[in-house]
Amino acid sequence: MKVYKKKRSDPARWIRFRIILVGAALALGLGVVMARAVQLQVLHRGELSEKAASQYKHALQKSPRRGTIYDANNQELAVSVEVSSICAYPRRIRSPKKSASALARTLKLPRAAVQKKLCSRKSFVWIKRKASPKEAAAVKSLKLAGIDFITESRRFYPMKTLAAQVLGFCGTDGRGLEGLEYYYDPFLSGREDQWMVFKDALGRPFKTESASPAIQDGYNLILTIDKTIEDIAERALCETVERFSAKSAIAVVMEPKTGAVLAIAHAPRFNPNSFKHYEPWIRRNRAITDTFEPGSTFKIFLGAAALESGRIRPGSLFDCEQGRYQVGANVIHDVHAFGALSFEDVLKFSSNIGAAKIGAAIGAESFYQTLKAFGFGSRTGIDCPGESPGCLPPPERWSDMDALAICFGQGVSVSALQLATAVCAAANGGVLMRPYLVQAMTDAKGRLVKSFQPAKVGRAISSKAACNLVHMLERVVAKGGTGQKAALSGYRVAGKTGTAQKVDLATRRYARNKHVAAFTGFVPSRDPALAIVVVVDEPKKSPYGGVVAAPAFRRIAEEALQYLKVPPELVIPEQEVPSIKASRGEQWAG
Amino acid sequence: MNRRTRNTRRRTSIVPWMVLFILFMAELLVYSWCRVQYVQTGYEVNQARKEGRRLLALQQALTVEEARLRSPQRIRRLAQNQGLVVPDSRQVVVLP
Repeated sequence: MKVYKKKRSDPARWIRFRIILVGAALALGLGVVMARAVQLQVLHRGELSEKAASQYKHALQKSPRRGTIYDANNQELAVSVEVSSICAYPRRIRSPKKSASALARTLKLPRAAVQKKLCSRKSFVWIKRKASPKEAAAVKSLKLAGIDFITESRRFYPMKTLAAQVLGFCGTDGRGLEGLEYYYDPFLSGREDQWMVFKDALGRPFKTESASPAIQDGYNLILTIDKTIEDIAERALCETVERFSAKSAIAVVMEPKTGAVLAIAHAPRFNPNSFKHYEPWIRRNRAITDTFEPGSTFKIFLGAAALESGRIRPGSLFDCEQGRYQVGANVIHDVHAFGALSFEDVLKFSSNIGAAKIGAAIGAESFYQTLKAFGFGSRTGIDCPGESPGCLPPPERWSDMDALAICFGQGVSVSALQLATAVCAAANGGVLMRPYLVQAMTDAKGRLVKSFQPAKVGRAISSKAACNLVHMLERVVAKGGTGQKAALSGYRVAGKTGTAQKVDLATRRYARNKHVAAFTGFVPSRDPALAIVVVVDEPKKSPYGGVVAAPAFRRIAEEALQYLKVPPELVIPEQEVPSIKASRGEQWAG
Repeated sequence: MNRRTRNTRRRTSIVPWMVLFILFMAELLVYSWCRVQYVQTGYEVNQARKEGRRLLALQQALTVEEARLRSPQRIRRLAQNQGLVVPDSRQVVVLP
């Protein structure tokens, strides 16, 4: 019985033993699995999560859309368009030689250069940045392996040369390099944003989320520039440059009451869509960056200083020494010989000798203070880069000859914008306004972000002095005056001609055959809508501002007034009877 | 009698498990359906975004084209071809 029991218990024990063994093995296996799970899920969680995410999650840098630049009437002057850039992944290219010749043929690129790129060890190379839609389509149709297209933003100027120097241009990276594009770059370019794109096994994106809370497209700029007035000014300048074989020309058109700049025109022009083909001096906004000796246009401010000082009254007579005035070792000349001229006639006939005597009568300090009050020698504060303050030394540094030469605009330098701003003050009852180019900033949806209002800088001269000055400047444009070619039918015009010799940089002396011809004025003179400055550099056929620049002023004023619907005053411009006989009227030019 | 009672008890003890299992399976199916829908909607959103970008690019291109057509240089050239000239200020009457 005992033996039997023993026999019965052995298999049961064995079975139990086997069960325990299997259980232990399973438990051990489970333990290993659990330990591995803990290792993967807890200890290496971060590292492995990142590894997994990198396979389906891709970060994408999204560039914001650069803001548009509009003219005063909301017409696009600079816009950003999306274009394709062609790139290659050299490791994925099967036959670099064949691909290179196909790409070079389609994109008109040197084959060797393309082949070098395709054979490089880099994982990514650019073939052509910002290709035209036609080129991109042609390359797509080739269906080459390893060639890809990346959408990029490109700046485009639909009006081509219009206001190009004011707008400036952008580089390949979309950043502003010159002009308003540069000055307002932080506002125009917006804020970059990073997006996470989740892709499936086939590489198709199925989820996109923004990493930062708000992408911000660039702000739009609304300028004070009017494209029609800009075009009128540019056309007038181009014709003047051609007609007088000049080197270049600048025109500034401003609204005297507000300081809004309606046009800044340059000749020669340039196309910012292909800015690399032009020399830097052509691309520069010379109306703001470059200075010149203003010549007789400066007599406007001499007249203003004289009237403001009260030491000289209209009608005061000055002996103009028959055109030759010896001052120490120096001699001042007039273009034409005059005897005694009244204060008004000194301006009208642009007598340098008369101007020198007026300057001596009012004193250097008084003249200097008036010039400073008109903004000369300091920046106007316009919202444009590279503005030059010009050169107006303090009276302590003036020699006796300087004190006289500055009276007729030699020995000082001004920018065209400074001159225009100062003339605006004369036209605006003596109140100097800050010039501005941008009137508003809007966001991508067109909502107003910031508006720029006209800003008063200060009073340059009293309103009474300004009123007298206007009457004197009207005589300059009347019959017999040096600026009669600027006269318009139906409108009173006030202005002043200027002819200045240029300094030869090689000899450091005034060159005999290099001049700057200028005209600056405003119209209608009693209630001015426009102040215009025209500066022509190195005209070959005639050096005089009254002959070269005044007709350009007339043309700009005539067309711009029509465009602005400024009604004619229904008066014939005053037919002045000159105080001396003016038989050589047309030749007189200051 | 004893066996029948035991069977009945066993059946009654299985029911909650079955219900739980069915609920679990249903939840699994609903969850899977939601995930599929989520991914599908993601594809559709992505497609719509792509289409939006295409339309935006088209709009930009048309804006540029419009601006180019409105350029003063082009309008003046067309006007000159038609024989039009800038009128003299005496030829213009501004109505109040």
